Amino acid sequence: MMVKARCWKFGDNIPSDLITPITIIFKGYEYIAQHVLERVRPEFPKLLKKGDIIVAGKNWACSSGRTTAPKGLKIAGVGLVIAESFSRTFFRNASEVGLPILECPGVTAKVNDGDVLEVDVTTGVIKNLTSGETIQATPPPPFQIELIKHGGLLKYLEEKGLPTNV
Amino acid sequence: MNMVEKILAKASGKKEVVPGEIVIADVDVIVMHDFGTHLVSNVFDKETKYTEIPNPDKVVIVIDHWFSPAAEDSATILRDIRAWAKKHGIKHLYDGGSGICHYVMFEEGFVRPGMVVVGTDSHTTCYGAFGAFGTGVGNQSHASLGLVFGKGWFRVPKTIKVQIDGELPKGTNMRDVVQHVIGVMGEDGAVYKAVEFAGSFVDSCSVLDRFTLPLMSVEMGAKTGFIQPDDKVIEFIKQRTNKPFELYYNDPDVEYESVHYFDVSKLGPQIGCPPTVGNTKSIEDVPRVTINQAVIGGCAGAKIEDFRLAAEILRGRKVHPEVRLLIIPGSRQIYMQAAREGLLDLFFEAGANIFPPSCGTCQTVNMGAQAAGEVMIATLPRNFPGRTGSPQASVYLASPMTVAASAIEGRITDPREFLGR
Repeated sequence: MMVKARCWKFGDNIPSDLITPITIIFKGYEYIAQHVLERVRPEFPKLLKKGDIIVAGKNWACSSGRTTAPKGLKIAGVGLVIAESFSRTFFRNASEVGLPILECPGVTAKVNDGDVLEVDVTTGVIKNLTSGETIQATPPPPFQIELIKHGGLLKYLEEKGLPTNV
Repeated sequence: MNMVEKILAKASGKKEVVPGEIVIADVDVIVMHDFGTHLVSNVFDKETKYTEIPNPDKVVIVIDHWFSPAAEDSATILRDIRAWAKKHGIKHLYDGGSGICHYVMFEEGFVRPGMVVVGTDSHTTCYGAFGAFGTGVGNQSHASLGLVFGKGWFRVPKTIKVQIDGELPKGTNMRDVVQHVIGVMGEDGAVYKAVEFAGSFVDSCSVLDRFTLPLMSVEMGAKTGFIQPDDKVIEFIKQRTNKPFELYYNDPDVEYESVHYFDVSKLGPQIGCPPTVGNTKSIEDVPRVTINQAVIGGCAGAKIEDFRLAAEILRGRKVHPEVRLLIIPGSRQIYMQAAREGLLDLFFEAGANIFPPSCGTCQTVNMGAQAAGEVMIATLPRNFPGRTGSPQASVYLASPMTVAASAIEGRITDPREFLGR
């Protein structure tokens, strides 16, 4: 699975409270998608193009483990999130809603805002087409790839039934 | 195996599990707060083909963020939650003003050692204080694996040990300890991991004082926190339920990814400074910032013990005229106990306002919001920008004693200045 797009860079410890704040999470996903991350970068939801990549620092989406964060990003059009590290709830919820994510220690030093990246989501190979550099992210666990391929946990269960062994 | 690995092995029908392995485990209790129930019920109704919840008695719903809705949109959400629970036969619904979901869980005897507990709230990590495995999972998990199949998927976590020894000096308490530990470990110091808390300090604490450790372990990124259950835990559980339970303990030869040692015998008050929980400083290193609001409440600071500590400082004193002190007991039992002990009168006479049992200002939806530029000091578990109103407001995290002392002085104040005065 390949993703090729420009990236939007964010810092360390961006909490779910700033990705999908309490003031927007009860207004439906169309509204959430229009306002996702605007508290950090007001232009983000307006200028985001379908498939764009987020590159973030450590502990992305800490604080409350709300599914609205990955789901809001996905519905807004984000194609992939790469971070130095994720909160475990975001890691889990992103896979469950079918949003590809990659953990890549050191990525923020090698990517600038606006760089164009070409990424193999299953192997974790990141090509920075702007700088020419190749970066290796941690390859995701097989169960996570399965969830992403099916488009999330609900479709996975629909198509494969209840897993007994994963 | 350790306690968590044994519980996950038992719940997934395996003899043994190893860190990194993904298991499908039986879930014993699902706890959902109001926000979570709203989001999960929407997924269940609109995104799945499931129509029934086969075991509604395993589900506990607590309306804890909205103790009473302030506007029509939230009233509508709550109306729909109640109707959804009724439709699916969920009897354990605790309505607004019952308290914080985790407090209701342990007070009403829903949690017992050996259980697997999942919840919509990230602080579901707290159940390791009672010999159980607890963790927060997302809306899709709840709406399918959890509610329909009574299961959850879990990657067996690696475990790190936090050993805390020593006896606390006067003027400091559990909140200072946990704030200090998170500061040293870092807010991502335990991401995906289980954190075991042990040591002479932990042993000496009451079960509910200990509860704050696994609860706050999520603020280091942990999947869960736990403490070996001792006689105090067994006694605590037996006082609240007569249902049977199974105790799991570490094997003697368990290995840890890392072990971290803390001695708290000289620890002074600790402050979690903006903008993250892990930005901990000793109070001596924090400027005496002027505050507008002080809050004693939230899952990390709404127990009767917390209010007793605050009362030690506030007894016979007045809240600064330019400070709003908000008191939010964590449950109805705690509210009643605080009333019986005269604490509510004491707080009220000091100038505080008393609010119904709830999450209070944590995820501000019906009280205590901050405007841009305002400063709050609070016992809340979190201080991330935008959780309590304006992202341009700031929140300092501290113990109930430090919050009380700061409320009196109108600026961040060391509670030891009041002790022995």
